[in-house]
Amino acid sequence: MANEKRQRANLLLGTLDMLILRTLLYGPAHGHQIGKHIQRSTDDFLQMQHGSLYPALHRLERKGWIVSRWETAPDRNREFKYYRLTEKGRKQLVVEESQWKQMTEAVARVMWPAAEES
Amino acid sequence: MRWWQIRRRDADLERELRSDLELEEEEQRENGLPPEAARYAARQALGNTTLIREHAHEAWGWATFERVSQDIRYALRQLLRSPGFAAVAVMTLALGIGATTAISTLVYDVMLRPLPFTEADRLVTVEEKVAEWSNIYPTLPVSANHFTFWQRHSRSFDSMALLQQFPVPLGSGDRPQQVEVMWATPGIFSVLRVQPTLGRPYTVSEGQKINEHVAVLMYDLWRQHFNANPGVLGKTIRLDGAPYTIVGVMPRSFHVPSLQWSATIGETDRSRPVEVIAPLAFSKERLAEQMGDLNYFGIGRLNQGVSITAATGDLDALQYTIGESLPANEKATLSAALTPLQDTLVGNNRKPLVILLAAAACLLLVGCVNVTNLLLARAVGRRQQMAVAAALGASRAEMVRMAIREIVVLAVAGGGLGILLASGVVPAMQRYLPPALDFRGPLHVDWMGAGCALILAVIASLLAGAVPAFMISRTAPFEVLHSESRLAGESRGNRRARRALVGIEVAVSVALVLMTGLLTTSLVRLMSVDRGFTTERTITATVELPGKSYEDDQHRATFYKTVLDRVDRLPGVEQAAFASGFPLEADDWGDMARVQGDSRPDTQLPIENVRWVSPDYFSSIHLGLVAGRIFSQDEWGKNQALISEKTAKTLWPGRNPIGRQFNLGNPAKEKPFTVIGIVRDARTVSLAKPDPMLIYVPYWYRTEGTAGLMVRTRQEPSEMARAIRETIWSVDGTVPVPEVRALAGVITDSVANQRFEMYLLLVFAASALFLAGLGVYGVITYSVVQRNREIGLRMALGARRATAYRLVLWDGLLPVAVGAVGGIGLAFASMRLVRSLLFQVSPYDPALTTGAVCVLLIIGTLACLLPARRAASVDPMQTLRTE
Repeated sequence: MANEKRQRANLLLGTLDMLILRTLLYGPAHGHQIGKHIQRSTDDFLQMQHGSLYPALHRLERKGWIVSRWETAPDRNREFKYYRLTEKGRKQLVVEESQWKQMTEAVARVMWPAAEES
Repeated sequence: MRWWQIRRRDADLERELRSDLELEEEEQRENGLPPEAARYAARQALGNTTLIREHAHEAWGWATFERVSQDIRYALRQLLRSPGFAAVAVMTLALGIGATTAISTLVYDVMLRPLPFTEADRLVTVEEKVAEWSNIYPTLPVSANHFTFWQRHSRSFDSMALLQQFPVPLGSGDRPQQVEVMWATPGIFSVLRVQPTLGRPYTVSEGQKINEHVAVLMYDLWRQHFNANPGVLGKTIRLDGAPYTIVGVMPRSFHVPSLQWSATIGETDRSRPVEVIAPLAFSKERLAEQMGDLNYFGIGRLNQGVSITAATGDLDALQYTIGESLPANEKATLSAALTPLQDTLVGNNRKPLVILLAAAACLLLVGCVNVTNLLLARAVGRRQQMAVAAALGASRAEMVRMAIREIVVLAVAGGGLGILLASGVVPAMQRYLPPALDFRGPLHVDWMGAGCALILAVIASLLAGAVPAFMISRTAPFEVLHSESRLAGESRGNRRARRALVGIEVAVSVALVLMTGLLTTSLVRLMSVDRGFTTERTITATVELPGKSYEDDQHRATFYKTVLDRVDRLPGVEQAAFASGFPLEADDWGDMARVQGDSRPDTQLPIENVRWVSPDYFSSIHLGLVAGRIFSQDEWGKNQALISEKTAKTLWPGRNPIGRQFNLGNPAKEKPFTVIGIVRDARTVSLAKPDPMLIYVPYWYRTEGTAGLMVRTRQEPSEMARAIRETIWSVDGTVPVPEVRALAGVITDSVANQRFEMYLLLVFAASALFLAGLGVYGVITYSVVQRNREIGLRMALGARRATAYRLVLWDGLLPVAVGAVGGIGLAFASMRLVRSLLFQVSPYDPALTTGAVCVLLIIGTLACLLPARRAASVDPMQTLRTE
């Protein structure tokens, strides 16, 4: 069980940045929302600890792909730190997406050669 | 990321994480979990907050700095917990690094730093060699006649110049100032590749006799004396009473060393920086003298690509041609000697500097060994801690980092303190630099020196820390934690290593102590050698007669006589005398005495130093008479002479020289001298060796414009200074009296360099001894603590206190004894370096050698006694109870 979990996490590590950027494409969100969104979208397959999200968010911000600001949430009377995609981040998402696509296709060609031929 | 932002960022992250937690908790509660479980679940969902923060820091690029600062903080905390150890280690390193930095700054500046001239490596000094005189003068200064010939025919030189340096009166009013003048042929500007910043250099035709009344000012004189007025060009100054037109001012950055022929400086070189450059012009008669005018300092710039060997060959060929054309009575075999300018300037200062550098390095080595020793002891004491760390999963790299960080902090602290120490000491050391080397302005530890010192510090501490770090990295937690913790002893290899280190320390210290002992004994013997004259209650004054108003011997002698008459009448004066110079100052008059009937050519005659003196010269410095009498004032004008014992033995072997006659110069033209007395051989040229042959002639026969007045007084001589100056000025107020001082000071000055070296060595040796003692003490104290149980058991079984003492002393003195023997070997092996600096001491002096070993044994014993007492007072009951 523990092993399986680690595998999932590993897979996640390489793609976390892309997933965050993709999530933010819908609009600004705070950390908890981003985490929940990824978890929900994958039907809880990617069960990550929210904690690992924050260093990644800070890293992306440092690279200038996202920006952050403390804002009051529309539905309740509380401040959250909202992250927004920048123009640079949008471009980066395109790059990462195509890279990811290339990689999965390459992996697929190795794994299921017959499917490719047909 | 700026460091002050880190706190704000952290707070920000904290808040972010907290809000995430809260949201999650709310959500879980809505899912129906009880509050306690919800909080727990939320925490689990978030993960390890410390880890998150660390990762976030890494994302900010802040982790490395944080780790380093944490290391430093940790190391500081650890060091502060044992302030004694920290202080000793830092001071040790600071001492070693400070000494090494200071000395190497000095050595670099003096021996290695390129001279401040364009392509300085092409500069050479030129000397002549005369085979017939080589036993007295291996090399000689250059003659104007030969120089002219070289200039015309040599192909190896870009340019050449002849120089002389001596001070003359500046101005013409009463009590004039003195300036140091470099008299140089016009070639000097192209040799040094330097042009005046204002005006022009003097030309070749201005370098000829009659036209030579032009001068170029050095920047400092221009600024101080002429307020940096650019209108000074074309104005006239009076040098030596004659008018000189100022044609140029040298750039501010231009400094010249004192370029003088070593033998003419003598033991007491106190020449000042050059202030004026003026032409050195030769009269027709001078230029015609083929062998009689070997007087000038030769300097040249080699052509591009010409080696010194090639240039020497070139000049040797020319010298041969000159030698061939010499008349029969001056027949000589001539050649030339070329030396790189920098080597000439360094001269015989090289050896003392190298020795000092070696001594400083030794001190640093002892310091390093000591710090290693301390660190080793500490490492052993911390085995438990390290084992725990290892058991808890610290990686080997982490353990080494733990061990190293302390050392690095020590290194930086020690190095920084060392640099401070060096930069404080260096300016003070500059005062002891010989003037030939001290011309570049204030000496200080520069950035390069400081950088080197820090690198040295890090290397030294890494060396010192390597062994303990290695040991720590090999810690096997299981073993350490399983052994009885309180009794865990030092491993055998470790103990052996520490003893070996003490041995090394002792060896180096013994060598240093022995070296210092030798040089100190040398200096003491040098100062107490029977010099044959006295300095008590004698005051000296230098007099510089302006050449213009005192052109011939007659005028000068009359002036000197008048001054003597008046000084003699001053209250408190016993005797007063004028002479060509003071004891231990170089004689500038060498001549060949020709005994009547001797018809050998000049070059085969023995050379004597000739001094002109007034009759009371001998009594005022108590220079004893062996036979005959001294000339008296009543015999004014008579050609009489006194000779030294050595001269007597050489000129008239086995016969009584009194009443016999000899000639100086051409016998056809000049009257002979009659010998009327024989003077004791003394040490008036150098304390280190007996005088060469000397001849004393009366001052009415010949005098120079520069003279030394010696006054023996009945009272404290310093009280007379003013009276003497006033008396000289009462005769002629235009005569500069640049210096009045006690004769004893002149003597002390002649050994100033040796004394400086000795003091430095003394400090180094004392420090090394102290460190060695500390090393022994540390090792023994530690081993006594380790062997507490063993000693206690022995006592319980009936051993006496004496046994405990013997046990500890044996343990401590063994490495000391072995080290001492090694040190003596080390010292003997390096004696080649020191031998020539010693005076009346054998480098293998048994008493000093034994002394050095004894000093170390005493220090070792003292260092052992305290721990030994502790061992002897071990209470056996106590030991057994803890067992």
